[in-house]
Amino acid sequence: MRILVVEDEPRLLRNLAKALREEGYAVDTAEAGDDGLFKAETYDYDAVVLDVMLPGLDGWQVLDRLRKRKRTPVLMLTARDAPKDRVRGLDTGADDYLVKPFDLEELLARLRALIRRSAGQVQPSLKVGDVLIDTRARSVTRAGEPIVLTAREYAILEYLALHRGKVVSRTELYEHLFDESDDTLSNLLDVHVFGIRKKLGRDLVTTRRGQGYCIE
Amino acid sequence: MFTKSIRWRLQLWFAFLLICTLSGFGIASFEVYRTRQLKQVDERLGPRVEALSRIVRGPQFFRGGRPPFEPGRDRRGGRPPGQFDSFPPPGSEDRRLPAIPPRDLLESVGGPSLPLPPDLERTLREDLETGIYFLIWNGDGTRLDASTNAPADLPRPPAMPPDSGPHFRTRDGHREAYEFNREGRAVLVGTSIATDLEARRGFALMLVGAGLSVLALGLGGGWFIASRALRPLQDISATASRISGGHLAERINVADTENELGQLAGVLNSTFARLEAAFAQQKQFTADASHELRTPIAVLLSEAQTTLARPRTAEEYRETLEACLETAQQMRRLTESLLELARFDAGQEKLRHEPVDLAEIVRTSVELVQPLAAEKDIKIHCDLAPVQVLGDEVRLGQIITNLVTNAIRYNKPAGEVRVQTRLDANTAVLTVTDTGPGIAPEDLPHIFERFYRADKSRTTAHGRTGLGLAICKAIVDAHGGTIEAQSAPEAGSNFIVRLPQPTG
Repeated sequence: MRILVVEDEPRLLRNLAKALREEGYAVDTAEAGDDGLFKAETYDYDAVVLDVMLPGLDGWQVLDRLRKRKRTPVLMLTARDAPKDRVRGLDTGADDYLVKPFDLEELLARLRALIRRSAGQVQPSLKVGDVLIDTRARSVTRAGEPIVLTAREYAILEYLALHRGKVVSRTELYEHLFDESDDTLSNLLDVHVFGIRKKLGRDLVTTRRGQGYCIE
Repeated sequence: MFTKSIRWRLQLWFAFLLICTLSGFGIASFEVYRTRQLKQVDERLGPRVEALSRIVRGPQFFRGGRPPFEPGRDRRGGRPPGQFDSFPPPGSEDRRLPAIPPRDLLESVGGPSLPLPPDLERTLREDLETGIYFLIWNGDGTRLDASTNAPADLPRPPAMPPDSGPHFRTRDGHREAYEFNREGRAVLVGTSIATDLEARRGFALMLVGAGLSVLALGLGGGWFIASRALRPLQDISATASRISGGHLAERINVADTENELGQLAGVLNSTFARLEAAFAQQKQFTADASHELRTPIAVLLSEAQTTLARPRTAEEYRETLEACLETAQQMRRLTESLLELARFDAGQEKLRHEPVDLAEIVRTSVELVQPLAAEKDIKIHCDLAPVQVLGDEVRLGQIITNLVTNAIRYNKPAGEVRVQTRLDANTAVLTVTDTGPGIAPEDLPHIFERFYRADKSRTTAHGRTGLGLAICKAIVDAHGGTIEAQSAPEAGSNFIVRLPQPTG
């Protein structure tokens, strides 16, 4: 999953990016509204965390312009908690709203829910055959047995499972799982998919030659 | 409770004035009516009493004076003297009327028969029939005679000087005129005025009725007028109470600005507008302050939670602690600034008022910020004339440090800062000029507002709170001075502080 964080307080931005990366997300950052808008329009993020008070364009303007082109889930982050601000945020097209100061746990939970909903899933756990993916704990069990995956392996598995039945191209996977600072080569994908197959069975992830990967 | 209400008080005053006017008018009318009534009666009685008095003068009625009638004339013979030519009917105002007593009266007096023209006799009889009665007393007070309709037991009226004209009195529903002649005889002519009294009572009742109607009409009209006059006041009061209930955007509908209430409404509206603006400013300030405080708390929380989420190396903990420390210090600066402003707002900030040399304070402050200037390669030029002001050395130093620090921060690389003190017409003037990019015209009116940031970015990393200039303004205000900024884009900014000179 790839997330864009737009926040002008540098320490908070740095920390949020760190926390999200540790959760296995690929994270891009922007400190100003116009920069954030550019990135949000250029890449297909799974979610955008958007502060309201920003230099350049403010959060409302970014959201407004982004909504004209994309349906990327947006979580607004603001220190303003008046009900009319929340209403305005949701009415402008924000998918969720979180008031500063927030609990990191809550932010992560809301992001997971946002991503799940936008992929059309309602359950926090995904079941593929005898494989159960718990997106809250980021853990995987096979027939009740816990299976240890690397962060990359888990991210690929979760993305494919969220978009179950759909062929996901290598580019898409690459876009959603690696952030702009990653210099990982795309063929590393094969290595991670190989790892998933080794741990969860050969048939879980199928390769469509020339198209991408798919969980049936 | 009534007396508290303007409407009721107006109404009471109005009623009081109305009653005074009406009763004055009523009493005067009644008096005029009564006087005219009596005068009418008196004009009938007076000539008769005079005539009778002349007739009964002397033992033979004719001694002295001029006789009213020619004696010895045949009764039915020649014409009576000229006075009788135009004998007026009863009630006529002709004062020359010689009233002729009726035959029985004259006969009983015992004098020779008077030659009475028959029309006069008829008139006298008519008099008797209309209720006029005659009475004559001798000088010793015994009754000489009386007409048949005269009251039987009426005593002689109190004595009056002889021939002093008819005297009038009102007695028990009767009006009487009487006269004493030289012989001591008294003549009295009277009539019942019962019908007059009845008419008078009717007139009085009519007056009272009319007065009460006018009073009722007047009070009703007064109530209506008072209501109309007070309605704008009620509107104002209703609007004001809605505003005090929190609807600050409400205004009184000023339909007519010309009248007094319109002007009042205008004044109140402008007061409400200022109130609303002050509230909005306060609200904005609270929102800004909460925003500024929430952000560092968010940093603290997220730093700590991220770090505690999994085991870390000592180096990572150290980084987190440093970030937390830095954030906490930023919060401390912010809360200190906020408290400082709050104290100025509440008037709790105790400023010392001592004569100090502004130039000296500038020198000390510039020395303090010299390292920052050196770091940015900026030169500070001082042009200081000694200027005495009454003030707080520490606070004044704070202003100067703040302004000069700003001038250094918002300067072009290797720029200049010029600090000047001078005396300008009893005012101490401090100017801080920089060679920076200047302040945009749209930002210039706002830079002394709390949390106003021209660049909209939250550059807290530089340790700025967005309150520096607001605090400067608060300090200058507390000194009774003014602070203003002049700037043009690309031409640098110029901050001018004016402080009053110590007087005397």
